[in-house]
Amino acid sequence: MIYFEDLEVGVVRELGSKTITKEEILAFAKDYDPQPFHTDEAAADRSIFGGLIASGWHTASIMMRLIVDGAVERAAVLPSPGFDDLRWLKPVRPGDTLTVRGGCIEKTPSRSKPWLGSARIRTEMLNQDGDVVMSVHNIAIYRRRDTAEPGEEKDDG
Amino acid sequence: MTTRYWEDFEVGEVREYGAKTVTREEVVAFARQFDPQPFHIDEDAAKATPLGGLIASGWHTGSMFMRMFADNLLAGSASLGAPSIDRLRWTKPVRPDDKLSVRTTVLSKSASKSRPEIGFVQNRHEVFNQDGDVVMWCEGPGMIRRRNPDATA
Repeated sequence: MIYFEDLEVGVVRELGSKTITKEEILAFAKDYDPQPFHTDEAAADRSIFGGLIASGWHTASIMMRLIVDGAVERAAVLPSPGFDDLRWLKPVRPGDTLTVRGGCIEKTPSRSKPWLGSARIRTEMLNQDGDVVMSVHNIAIYRRRDTAEPGEEKDDG
Repeated sequence: MTTRYWEDFEVGEVREYGAKTVTREEVVAFARQFDPQPFHIDEDAAKATPLGGLIASGWHTGSMFMRMFADNLLAGSASLGAPSIDRLRWTKPVRPDDKLSVRTTVLSKSASKSRPEIGFVQNRHEVFNQDGDVVMWCEGPGMIRRRNPDATA
């Protein structure tokens, strides 16, 4: 398990990849973001984007999946309180292959809960050309290895 | 419906909209695809956590907000998408059977310096549950087409 103490500021890791299909873009947008440039190929061709693009929430959700598969399963983390500075920098299009690159840029022990610490994780998503399509500062809450939560048995597994 | 352009948004205007009931099936289906952590996909595992039961992925809550925003505000406006979200916080768990709604406040407006056909509207969005608790909030700009690109801002 990766605890708060194990996080090294400045170390960047790359996580898995995911190729996004046209069908996935259309299905996500139909459920959650039915704007014409996400749901209608002909309308998207005529839009300022020049073709179908993925909902930004879809791109962000794919980021989450790659983080869960590549990192969260081995991390002693609680549900995230949020994020800062999310930017959609380039359109994501059908057939794009997305990868995630991320690293801790700041870690702060909790003052009120000494068994927790907060980390800012600078996360970027890149396409197959190496362009950054999205960047965000995710906030992660980690448990500490050296301080157990009051009332809980320390499990070092 | 008359299309709303950038000029039509007023700083300080407040819109309240949406009525989205969260279903268990949807919580699990979204999380299986995008956020397969135990407390999003496994009822028994979720009950054993301090959360006390299944909760929606925060990205699912964001996506459900997006749907309400798209249906109620963007559908009637000359929206060109959003470049960013400055800040977002998940402030309370969202659970199956919760009923979500949104309040959007226009914080400020600015013209694009490089693209005269576009203006930015800075919004604050708050997502509420049926008890009036804010479960998520975020702030960020939207890009809206201008009716009069040649006018000075």
